[in-house]
Amino acid sequence: MSTAKEILLQVQDLQVSVEGRKILNGLNLTVAAGEVHAIMGPNGSGKSTLANVLAGHPGYEVTAGSVTFRGENLLELAPEARARAGVFLGFQYPVEIPGVNNVYLLKAAVNAARKARGLEEVDAFDFLGMVREKMKIMRMDDSFLSRGVNEGFSGGEKKRNEILQMLVLEPALAILDETDSGLDIDALKIVAAGVNTLRSPERACVLVTHYQRLLDHVVPDVVHVLVRGRIARSGDKALALELERRGYDWVAGEAA
Amino acid sequence: MSTPVNALASRIAEDFAAATAAGGRGLDTRRRALRELQAAGLPGTRDENWKYANLRGLERLRFVPAPAGATAIAEGALPAALPGFSRQVFVDGRYAPALSGAAPGGVFAPLAVTAAPPGSLTLGPDQRFALLNEAFATDGALVRVPARASARLELIFLATAEAASGSSYPRLSVEVADGAHLELIERHVSAASLGSFVNGSAQLHLARGAQVRHYRLQELSARSRAFDTLGAALDQDASYRLHAIGVGGAASRSTVAVRLQGERAAVTLAQVLLGARQQVQDCFALFDHAAPRTQSEQLFRGIAASRARVAFNGKVVVAPGAAGADSRQSLRGLLAGPEAEIDVRPQLEIYTDAVRCSHGATTGKLDEQMLFYLLSRGLSRDTAQRLLKWAFLEDAVSGIELPELRRQVELALAAALEDETLKELL
Repeated sequence: MSTAKEILLQVQDLQVSVEGRKILNGLNLTVAAGEVHAIMGPNGSGKSTLANVLAGHPGYEVTAGSVTFRGENLLELAPEARARAGVFLGFQYPVEIPGVNNVYLLKAAVNAARKARGLEEVDAFDFLGMVREKMKIMRMDDSFLSRGVNEGFSGGEKKRNEILQMLVLEPALAILDETDSGLDIDALKIVAAGVNTLRSPERACVLVTHYQRLLDHVVPDVVHVLVRGRIARSGDKALALELERRGYDWVAGEAA
Repeated sequence: MSTPVNALASRIAEDFAAATAAGGRGLDTRRRALRELQAAGLPGTRDENWKYANLRGLERLRFVPAPAGATAIAEGALPAALPGFSRQVFVDGRYAPALSGAAPGGVFAPLAVTAAPPGSLTLGPDQRFALLNEAFATDGALVRVPARASARLELIFLATAEAASGSSYPRLSVEVADGAHLELIERHVSAASLGSFVNGSAQLHLARGAQVRHYRLQELSARSRAFDTLGAALDQDASYRLHAIGVGGAASRSTVAVRLQGERAAVTLAQVLLGARQQVQDCFALFDHAAPRTQSEQLFRGIAASRARVAFNGKVVVAPGAAGADSRQSLRGLLAGPEAEIDVRPQLEIYTDAVRCSHGATTGKLDEQMLFYLLSRGLSRDTAQRLLKWAFLEDAVSGIELPELRRQVELALAAALEDETLKELL
């Protein structure tokens, strides 16, 4: 990791509670442009809490610490402002919103970000062409265009839709919360291809995952293991493999 | 005696005497309606099915029909025409041939010129405002679709009178013969921002195998009060779909009673009510399964914003002889203002075994998970909330199969939600 790279995300001593219960307990994380970080850990270690807090979910209380995105205080921004600034959360359980059309949402999202940057709205025709291109990467058929957001989608389709939204929005920082869970191997490869499409020196990605199999297809620069609300160990791809072999108890035991 | 109820009764009696002083057609029927109304009395808020309606100040109304022809009608007061539909216009309940198109032969006639005006169906205890209509109405629409024929008709009821000068009595009598098809649009609109009193009545009979799609839109001016009573009787294999949209008026109450009296008869009601400001929007719908294997569905979507009150009371009765009946209710209310009120009430009375009844009723605020999802995509809170309101109504609007009408309905809903941004969706 070169020090010349722009620091996109800096999390320092982050402490977060949910309904009075402390979930994150002094978490530190630095993500630079161009990097892919994997956050692994056992159930209940705080992985999804981290993802949701970064996106601004209202159900979490930050009790201490700081988070900056491109040097700005991220915690002060409303969720929609974070999104427009280039932070994207891929949901673990994307909601169905019948009656809100998929394409309408994509267009509204892109235009909201463009407006924030002082750009004019996208041309509807060009936009649809662009969406169709990205749909090819995600192997989604045309019927998607006329459906409601995630309406009647299978679990795998919902996850692919999350990645499609990410491809259309082109965020600087994508946080993908267990995007791999519940996917069969074919869907996993499609999702991985989508994530890899967006890899570039300007962008970064935080993959929150329970299993290392996604990391066979999206190779991370750094792997962190989260235990009881803080990062217990960091390493490279080899750490994920070792975890797979030895189980989380190995790290949890060391951290205790 | 000075109780409000009696003040109302004497007001009605006086106005009836004034309205009929010069004689007129069908007086016997009208007198009988008045007597029945006097015996029953108009409902009060202590009546179980009327507690959400705004019944205040009725005794201060002028029940005589609004004077005819005083107001010049601007064409702009009428909604855009729908292709393929014969349009017939009524002004304050009276047929206005000058504003109407060619009537489809043998299907439509104004009630004022028919030999024997049909009387009310007697469908349950909540037809009292229909009796008031019958006592005072002097005209209306008579629709007769002959066996195996099909017709498309648009009826516009335009209110042009201030309540102080008289009331408007839209009246509609529909007979659809064996195997006939009818697509009927019924719209209630105002000529200007008047405060009219409108009390409509619609009676339908669907004979064996008849199919009716009925679109009812209440878009009266913000100061108007509207009551309407609809009764429908369905014979064997008849199918009735009623799409009702209520956005207008200061206070409105719609009373719907459908009797499934023939085997396998089927009815669907998709009702949308929007309340803003201090509007009161109230609907009571009674479905009566009186024959075997009958089907019914009630779909309600209501939004109460600001200080509005929106209520839907959906009652389904399955009679002892109605084995194999199938009834579904999906009633949902959305609270969109801190001082708004919404009341959604499903009622089910089942007097036989071997029926399938499912009902769901919810009221609440916008779904927080959905809201956060849209925010996390960069949409403003305002846009996200508007989109979710729109999505909430979608189920009840998507069944409108006429694209042009659906577009007009969506525009009316967008206007009622005071939502300019939604128009880009349409």
